[in-house]
Amino acid sequence: MAKLILTFNKQVIREYPFDKDGITVGRNEDNAIVIDNLAVSGFHARIDRAGSEYILTDLQSTNGTFVNDQKVASHKLSHGDNIVIGKHVLLFLASDSDRVQGGKEETKLPLDRTVVLDTVKQRELLSKQKVVPQAPRAPEKIGVLSFIDGSGLGDLGLSKKLTKLGKAETSEIRLTGLLMAPTAATISRRPSGYAISFTGGMTKLKVNGKVVKESVQLKDFDTIELGSHKFQFYQKEVKN
Amino acid sequence: MEVRASGLSDVGLQREGNEDAFAVQSSLGLYIVADGMGGHLAGEVASRVAVEIITKGFERWMETDTPEDELFGYPDASLSKVGNYLLSSIRLANRVIYEMATEYEQYNGMGTTIVALLVKPGLIVAANVGDSRMYMVRDGRIERMSKDHTIVSEHIEMGVMTEEEAVRSPLRHILTRNLGSAEHVDAEVFEIVPSGRDRFILCTDGLTDLANDKEILKVAQKEHDPELLCRSLIDLALERGGHDNTTVVSVFLEDERHRPSEGILARLGGMLADILAILGRIGKKVRL
Repeated sequence: MAKLILTFNKQVIREYPFDKDGITVGRNEDNAIVIDNLAVSGFHARIDRAGSEYILTDLQSTNGTFVNDQKVASHKLSHGDNIVIGKHVLLFLASDSDRVQGGKEETKLPLDRTVVLDTVKQRELLSKQKVVPQAPRAPEKIGVLSFIDGSGLGDLGLSKKLTKLGKAETSEIRLTGLLMAPTAATISRRPSGYAISFTGGMTKLKVNGKVVKESVQLKDFDTIELGSHKFQFYQKEVKN
Repeated sequence: MEVRASGLSDVGLQREGNEDAFAVQSSLGLYIVADGMGGHLAGEVASRVAVEIITKGFERWMETDTPEDELFGYPDASLSKVGNYLLSSIRLANRVIYEMATEYEQYNGMGTTIVALLVKPGLIVAANVGDSRMYMVRDGRIERMSKDHTIVSEHIEMGVMTEEEAVRSPLRHILTRNLGSAEHVDAEVFEIVPSGRDRFILCTDGLTDLANDKEILKVAQKEHDPELLCRSLIDLALERGGHDNTTVVSVFLEDERHRPSEGILARLGGMLADILAILGRIGKKVRL
């Protein structure tokens, strides 16, 4: 099935499979592809399927519709075409069978090899428009340990990729206790999120009541006990 | 801590040249894998330059114990000092490749991925840019210590695609970051503590395109020698078509001391710890 990939500033926003015979694009909510941006007209353009051909038509939009840098009124789409609407780019990918019938030897994107999205050209094109909307990005979160054992340590942010907890002076979080090891446990920020590991010593590490001998991933509001210390883990958003 | 490491690279069954590069520098504790791209084998240049610059830059800063504010670019406050050495050496490599790619026509568009592992006593640093990967095998489980910089992995994070779909997506090789395409690069860096018996696998997508995480874990658990592990993984890729250059570096760590196991002292200590914990919870101000 053919696909349209909506991108903005090198970020992919969404994929739209071509499961109908016609798709409209525009700011109005009734469109199949809604782009909420002032540079986009209510009903900006449409793409119709005729057999294995896909035809893009500009619906007399205010700012026009471009395909690979050229302004078009109507255009037969080829695999890999970049459709520019406002500041957004729709990448058209024909389905496998369509591509064969299309008869075009090279596709615009060498997809079997690794490439880097080239946005310099796109940026040149897009800078001619005036509006600059925000690119959607998930807010960054940082881990926090909230001490609930009366130790007076309060809420401590985990600003390091690797946080050591223990008696040693070099520990990021210094914990006291007769049996506390220099480094009793560590919390590391990994690709999959924060994880706590038992490093050694005679104090026990427990997460939600269960003893942890190796390491375990942390979820919001997990309760951690290390020796006589008790704290809760959670993540809070960071403003950039 | 005993470290055994090995690296192996294969051009594969379909490519003309090998644009991957790797380094196994146990004297520095530094292990690197790079997958180059660009026309006319410029990829080979990019990957080799990256490995060379990262190694030399890191070595220089280690030797002179350079303060963090004298490195290349602002230090990352969330990293250790050697973590910043590694990060800066990656930034430096990026800048060199970027300049070469802009300056020389035959190098236009060249770039490379990078994945690097640093092993120091008590500290392990993992860094990557692009879609070459690092895996850690610990306690019978396999975990990724790298973050793919590809469109499809962003899709997966956004919840628009599943891992299974990503493996078949025509977009799966499109990177969102690499060394050489931009003046500045943001590398992923992770720091952890060695556990006493860890195994690390650095590899290019020539392997991960053809084998999934579970399969790599199975091979890692069978082989007890890093050289044999590299060989087995490459053989696996070749068996399945070898459509791309494939490179694997594996690093085995073994701590002779290990963690205190269930010896009598540890058990007694554990009991005592329990008693003290209970006392502490009873709310007395038992500050020891």
